[in-house]
Amino acid sequence: MLKLIGSRLLQMLLIMGVISFILFAIFDSDKFKKQIAVNELGGFAVSALSEQDYQAWLEKKGLNVPFYQRYLNWVAGVAQGDFGKSFEKNEPVADLLATRLVHTGLLALWVFALMIPLSLLFGVVAGMKEGSPQDRLTSFISVLTTSLPEIATAIILTVIFALGLRWLPPNAAMVNGWDWRALVLPVLTLVLYDFGYVARMTRASMAEVMNSQYIRTAILKGLPYRRVILRHALRNALIAPFTIIVLQMNWLLSGVVVVEVFFQYAGFGKLLLDAALFGDIYVIQAATLVAVFVAVASQIISDVGYTFLNPRIRFA
Amino acid sequence: MARKLPPGFEHPVVANAFDHLEAGRLSKREFIRLAALLGASAASAYALVGLPAPALAEGALPFPPDDPKAKAGGVLKVAMQVQKLEDPATFSWVQMSNQARHTLEYVAITGPDNVTRPMLAESWSASPDLKTWTFNIRKGVMWHTGEELTADDIAWNIKRWADPATASSNVGLSVVAGLLEDTGKKDDKGKPIMGLSNGAIEVVDKYTLRLHMNRPVLSAPEDLYNYPTAIVHRSFKAPLSDNMIGTGPFTLGEFRVGDKCVLKRVTKTRDGKDFNYWGGKVYLDEIAYYNFDSDNQLSAFASGDVHTLYDFTVEQLDLAKSLPGIIHAARTAQNICCRMQVDHAPFTDKRVRQAIVMSVDNEKVKNLVYGEDGDVGENHHVAPVHPDYGPLPPLKRDVEGAKKLLKDAGFEKGLEVTIDVGNTDGPWHQTACEAMRDQMKEAGINLKVNVMPAAKYWEIWDKTPFGCTAWTHRPLGTMVMSLGYRTGVPWNESHYANPAFDKALDEAEATLDVAARKVKLAVAEKILQDDAVMVMPIFRPVYTIVAKNVNGYQGHPTEYHQFNKIWLT
Amino acid sequence: MTTANISLDTAPVPFNVRIRQPTALIGLVLLMWVPLTLYVMFGPFLSDTLKSFVLLPAIPATVALYVIAVTSWRESPVAIIGATLVFFWLFVAVSAPYLPLIDPNKPLAPFAEMGAYKKDHWFLLGADFKGRDMLSRDLWGCQRVLVWGVSATLVAYAVGAFFGLLAGYLSGWWDQAISLVCNILLSFPVMVLFILILNYLGPSGFNIVIAVTFASAPAIMRIVRGLTLDTRSRDYIFAAQTRGEHPLRIMIFELLPNARGPIIVDACLRLGYTTVAITTLTFLGLGLQPPDPDWGLMIKESTKVAMVWKFSYMLLIPALSVSSLILGFNLLADGLREMSLRD
Repeated sequence: MLKLIGSRLLQMLLIMGVISFILFAIFDSDKFKKQIAVNELGGFAVSALSEQDYQAWLEKKGLNVPFYQRYLNWVAGVAQGDFGKSFEKNEPVADLLATRLVHTGLLALWVFALMIPLSLLFGVVAGMKEGSPQDRLTSFISVLTTSLPEIATAIILTVIFALGLRWLPPNAAMVNGWDWRALVLPVLTLVLYDFGYVARMTRASMAEVMNSQYIRTAILKGLPYRRVILRHALRNALIAPFTIIVLQMNWLLSGVVVVEVFFQYAGFGKLLLDAALFGDIYVIQAATLVAVFVAVASQIISDVGYTFLNPRIRFA
Repeated sequence: MARKLPPGFEHPVVANAFDHLEAGRLSKREFIRLAALLGASAASAYALVGLPAPALAEGALPFPPDDPKAKAGGVLKVAMQVQKLEDPATFSWVQMSNQARHTLEYVAITGPDNVTRPMLAESWSASPDLKTWTFNIRKGVMWHTGEELTADDIAWNIKRWADPATASSNVGLSVVAGLLEDTGKKDDKGKPIMGLSNGAIEVVDKYTLRLHMNRPVLSAPEDLYNYPTAIVHRSFKAPLSDNMIGTGPFTLGEFRVGDKCVLKRVTKTRDGKDFNYWGGKVYLDEIAYYNFDSDNQLSAFASGDVHTLYDFTVEQLDLAKSLPGIIHAARTAQNICCRMQVDHAPFTDKRVRQAIVMSVDNEKVKNLVYGEDGDVGENHHVAPVHPDYGPLPPLKRDVEGAKKLLKDAGFEKGLEVTIDVGNTDGPWHQTACEAMRDQMKEAGINLKVNVMPAAKYWEIWDKTPFGCTAWTHRPLGTMVMSLGYRTGVPWNESHYANPAFDKALDEAEATLDVAARKVKLAVAEKILQDDAVMVMPIFRPVYTIVAKNVNGYQGHPTEYHQFNKIWLT
Repeated sequence: MTTANISLDTAPVPFNVRIRQPTALIGLVLLMWVPLTLYVMFGPFLSDTLKSFVLLPAIPATVALYVIAVTSWRESPVAIIGATLVFFWLFVAVSAPYLPLIDPNKPLAPFAEMGAYKKDHWFLLGADFKGRDMLSRDLWGCQRVLVWGVSATLVAYAVGAFFGLLAGYLSGWWDQAISLVCNILLSFPVMVLFILILNYLGPSGFNIVIAVTFASAPAIMRIVRGLTLDTRSRDYIFAAQTRGEHPLRIMIFELLPNARGPIIVDACLRLGYTTVAITTLTFLGLGLQPPDPDWGLMIKESTKVAMVWKFSYMLLIPALSVSSLILGFNLLADGLREMSLRD
């Protein structure tokens, strides 16, 4: 097991190294650097930037050293927790990223706290009896909610609860300090989109278990139905959903971009998009590394957890 | 000239302007603006022409008067882009200056009525030839350090702007440019390096500063309220946000670029004594700028998060009208210039350009986009809000005439042209071009509207044969014409070159008599209009909205924030 | 397209058999798709006369395909509902120029509300902030979403399937190398990958195709590779190998057709994802560019002007439209999966 984790971690570092190198190479081109210079110097077009100003800017920002040298410096910095300084926001990337990750983390926490029980409940109830009305209802709801893209869900929820009923604020910019109410719509949007998928997976897993030999035997033996479900079926049926839920972390990082931009929530996703649009090299680099880290780490957790939970694999 | 004017109006240019006023060649408002620029008090200028003067705070401070009902306290929340604060002399956006405006003050201040009044100066006067300007610095203005502001401080600031190492755009202002001379040295590109001429800045005594220009300058005080001319303390070192010392009532509290900028009241000087603000009462405890992209500012206002915002676009006007709040629209000379390159076929043929211009009804285009607001453009880039605007007979749309011209030019089967649009000020650029497309069709001109991202448009704005460029507000008509249409100047995007036009423009610029200048400028306007270089349908207003619990808000044409006397209920 | 291989035969035939019979339907699909793609992707290069009739043959083709789809899938109501939604939008896409709609880019009466009569025009679904008819924009909007979405999915499939076959059939270090690249790409959260690629290439329809390919092809490659590994040990492959056929030929004509069932189901789901991606990217400002309408753009523009109850129709209309199309793709996938499992 440790060997598996070790090799996966090594693989992750390798991937991160390759990616950061590629990104560095891409954003090191004159095209991007000039774009940033124009943004920084307040000009309105690359074509209006004089070579003299550009060179002066490169020197001021320490960007006129050769590419490989800068890359090595950057890697050395990252190893010590220094991710460089944001061009747009004028502060260390590490601080910036930390604040934004906390915000997104809070969002994710609520999403998981709501989504997991909800989807497991729906999935298990539906999977207990295939073809039953509750099964059909669950399928219908989950197909419907997963078919609504986040942007549409966000719009529909905003129109109803913020613009129509005026129960909740329409954005989560939270200029007047932290406001939990503002978090409701972003969380709901993400939960609604994601819950259907996990519920369907849980349903499939539950249905498979319910059809298995040992559950049928248990029921035929006359054990109480409740007990069969709670003691025997659930334990096995929840292995597959576990891995899927962990993998949702990866998906959530994509999902938050739209939701955070729509609701103007100052989180990781909005930071990434802003940085990309501005060409804020170091922020893009750091955010991408974080994203890849979360994605790969969630994969490792899900693999390890699956091995750990599944008796057939553990004891075989 | 024979008339005896009250004290303060002795300047010959003012006296001359008064004659024009009496003869009906100059409006009352223009006279007030001019008299105030040349040292007369704005209040007496208003009185002289018989207009009600906007009330001022006690002691003729350049702020609105104190409201007896006013309550102190509260935080004014504003949605605006929160930008870096590096060096005020190189500010490239008005937003930056707004963040600093209540800390760093200016020698003069232009009010919402477009009249410039003394701020850090107490008064000023100009020599009859407009080459020597004397500024009397206000006494008792305290820096946040506890020191008193002196003429030396102002002189130090002007020298800093003039230093090529500062790279300040202020050297382009006439008040600074008039102090410079060729140093004889050249930069890498062979451009001459300009430096301060000897004795250009004279500190007469602690409170008197004299500027000796090498050419007549009319707009000196107005220039000293241009947004990068904020006065910094002599200990200034970029970035400004690290140590913001000014003379204003607020200083920087919390600050994160792209997030928020909170300004807090200054109560103590840096050495712990009581801070006395020279400008009288200030009511707000804090001014908080929250970062919102221009698109999102109005929805932030709609949700009640902020009291006011930087600006919103005309597309959002209907939304704004449906919200509880007061909309302020300020007239400006901001515009779109759909210009043709006169050295690029088919626009080399003047008849083609004329046909295009004639087939468009500028007023209809403007009304479609801006309704009742804004001013109709007359295809010569000078706006009715410019003080030197010379009126011309209104334009008439002539579809038949356009058809005939096209036929003469050999396009009887119709003409195909493409206009590049970057929507750099918002989607209304495209709306205007689409309206033009529909009108041109009737004259047999098939206009294709090629929309591209704003950033991409700025890469080609001076290269595309036919493009829709946004020009920002500039205080004088001669200024925009010199920037955009003089033969061979860098920003001449239409490649227009006409010696007759250049000559007319030179003559207008050299004329100090305001009414005569309007007449001269009208000649240049007419030449440019007849040469059909551009369709300029719209001079747009800028909009902002203010919540009803904000008292004393006055919209400013250049979107400068002046919040000293604002109070909240 | 998804309907490409459905037989005209209306008798109940096992699903896998049915989709194994390439028929004249491919012709119908091409008749529908080629004009539409030409019209949307290369519209600016077509002459006006060509533009005015190029879509005409596509209309009967679309109707015929719908009739065939409904009759051959009658045992699955889910698939029929899905097909109805998808074909509704397909029909709108091909017939938009001939429907009695006003120019979707013509500014008439800004903020005209739903059902208002202004400037000699009934605004059934209101007008947007520039005064353009929402009904017209919404219906025209499906063209760009459909064409770019389906094209991007197709290209992703071509690339993904090619590498999947290569990896699965050739194994060895080919498999290793391809899988490594795929793993790297798959370790990106999709949206991060989209943002990085589109930021580098610049926003446009063709670049969306590239970005979607990068994001989707690795997953497709994995599916195809798995299916290939599964089938390559079958007898008919050995037979072909002993006949001495070229590996490429074996891959395309022997392996691929046998992997069709799961691929088609996956493709339907993936069409849904791509539609979401395109709409979302356009909303974020990285996708298709104005002025022509599409749903993402309509949402993007409306978020700035319509954040009050009175104008919320400007947001809801495109949001519901895109949802209905994605629902169609998902139901279609569900129905097809159901049918393929039943056989």
